[in-house]
Amino acid sequence: MPRVLIVAYGNRLRSDDGVGWIVAGDLRQRLASPEVEILQLTQLLPEVAESISHANTVIFVDASCDGEPGELHCRQLTPPPAKAQFSHQLTPAELLGVAGRLYGATPQAFCVSLTGECFEHGEELSESVAGRLPQLASKVEQLTKEVLAGPLATLPSSQEAEAAS
Amino acid sequence: MGEAVKQGKTIIIDPVTRIEGHSKITLHLDEDGAVEEARFHVTQFRGFEKFCEGRPFYEMPSLMARICGICPVSHLIASAKACDALLAVRIPPTAEKLRRIFGLAQVVQSHALSLFHLSSPDLLLGMDADPGKSNIFGVAEENPELARDGIRLRQFGQEIIERLGGKRIHPAWIVPGGVSEPLTETNRDAILSAIPDALRIVERTLEWFKGRMEHFREEIASFGNFPTMFMGIVKQDNGLTFYDGKIRIIDAAGKVVADALDPTRYFDYIGEKVEPWSYMKSTYYKPVGFPDGIYRVGPLARLNVADRCGTPRADQELAEFHELQRTAVLSSFHYHHARLVEMLYCVERMEQVLNDSEILSPRVRAVARPNALEGVGACEAPRGTLFHHYKIDEQGLIRWCNLVIATGHNNLAMNRSILQVAKHFVRGNHLTPGMLNRVEAVIRTYDPCLSCSTHALGQMALRVELLSPSGELLDQVERTG
Repeated sequence: MPRVLIVAYGNRLRSDDGVGWIVAGDLRQRLASPEVEILQLTQLLPEVAESISHANTVIFVDASCDGEPGELHCRQLTPPPAKAQFSHQLTPAELLGVAGRLYGATPQAFCVSLTGECFEHGEELSESVAGRLPQLASKVEQLTKEVLAGPLATLPSSQEAEAAS
Repeated sequence: MGEAVKQGKTIIIDPVTRIEGHSKITLHLDEDGAVEEARFHVTQFRGFEKFCEGRPFYEMPSLMARICGICPVSHLIASAKACDALLAVRIPPTAEKLRRIFGLAQVVQSHALSLFHLSSPDLLLGMDADPGKSNIFGVAEENPELARDGIRLRQFGQEIIERLGGKRIHPAWIVPGGVSEPLTETNRDAILSAIPDALRIVERTLEWFKGRMEHFREEIASFGNFPTMFMGIVKQDNGLTFYDGKIRIIDAAGKVVADALDPTRYFDYIGEKVEPWSYMKSTYYKPVGFPDGIYRVGPLARLNVADRCGTPRADQELAEFHELQRTAVLSSFHYHHARLVEMLYCVERMEQVLNDSEILSPRVRAVARPNALEGVGACEAPRGTLFHHYKIDEQGLIRWCNLVIATGHNNLAMNRSILQVAKHFVRGNHLTPGMLNRVEAVIRTYDPCLSCSTHALGQMALRVELLSPSGELLDQVERTG
């Protein structure tokens, strides 16, 4: 059972949306450990809830549309109080909620994202995103190592904390 | 496509939710507010038949798998079978068995998605439930075991696909001439060990579903409950199959209309018609003509045309299913029931094939150059009969391609079903969420796969507007994203 589950997701064929997939390859080498499991997914589906319920900490890695291209965000997630309207896809926070309701386990969770510039068809990252890949990988690695070093109740003050809505 | 919307009173349901793909429904009212016409518009365009022209034929299975994120395996199988015909080879017996297992696993995960994730909110909470609760969260609160079972069955199917094909979505394991890698003993044993749990889940869900049916008598009576023909591929002994066999067509009374039709000659008996208001083609049985040649495919049709399943538990359930009606089982509501019987068959059948003495054979691929310039591949996809038809030139490049997708076979029936439901439930100028949901729910019974592009940007909102002939807004129901 992994202590840290990293869920990197997005569409590799939609340019910057594939940033999670790309960084996951790097993270597999940096974080090779039986205590760390890395999933690469195209989208978040209910099935992931079971894997989430087995982890102590979950780190979602995704591209974001918010902010300026290349901005790095890290926020702590909490399950949403309201129910989702649509079951076709789920947000990271909603998946946490599903894990809690179905499997009785809601691990602490974070979302680390990089704001994308281009989400059109294509397999190349835009320059503003490609140039920030090392920082994205470092942020996830740092967070993972902090988690593995001991309990992490809340985000370190040096990182942006934001309740999931 | 938009012409009809401008005439008379029109209710537009856009998009239809909890289905695979993007579509809208328009209901046309007469001057008294009664529904006089209904249409199911598929608003997306894919174009695979055109843009594969010029590609080498051996790329086709991988290209065609991209048609769908839910049932790529069916497209792989139909495409590879068409390519087998181009090679003019008979694939090794073990390769055929492995393809069968692959297809059965996909049916389980696809049917589980339809039943548990998309339709169980209606079946568990009712058609008039608060739209805000008609989703997986509502199901998880009301019946967590049901929600967990859905997740587990999906995982079961996906894990088999991953073990055989290397990945869950768009695996490229099936190739012209067979499959690219043999099955390992480790993977066989792992799949076999998961079968008892999958069987328990399907049987538990079947019992639950049968207990729920009494709550849906009105829906059973009005959800696509009309006479049509039914079509499906059956084995030579008229048993259920998803991989290979003959085409059988029966009428609403259950009498055989056509039997032992060659799937590779589909164009002799199936016609295709394009309507100006939808990107989806409508098919019909040629000897009867359009539109009277309406027929249905998919789980309901397969169980109607099959005499037996060939596995013990599914055969018991099939016998019970046939008891639902003395003729063919006509109501499209029973697609849900049929889906469960088929899942039971798939799990049992997988176990049979996995225990075959030759299943670990390393001889899984026939290699050849193109030996024919035209090939047709057919199989039963989760949603119904699927045909891939290719023509190539001397260099092996695709020159022409025709795809008859399972959902297209049901296009006429889906449109008629919407009309039946709307006429029964829509009253006057007042719309309710329950009315809206039933119009969508009848479409969900068919589990149409429209897009095959599973990525969605943002969440879908839904608004239904009731407009007067002059365009005045009379009523509206809105579902926020």
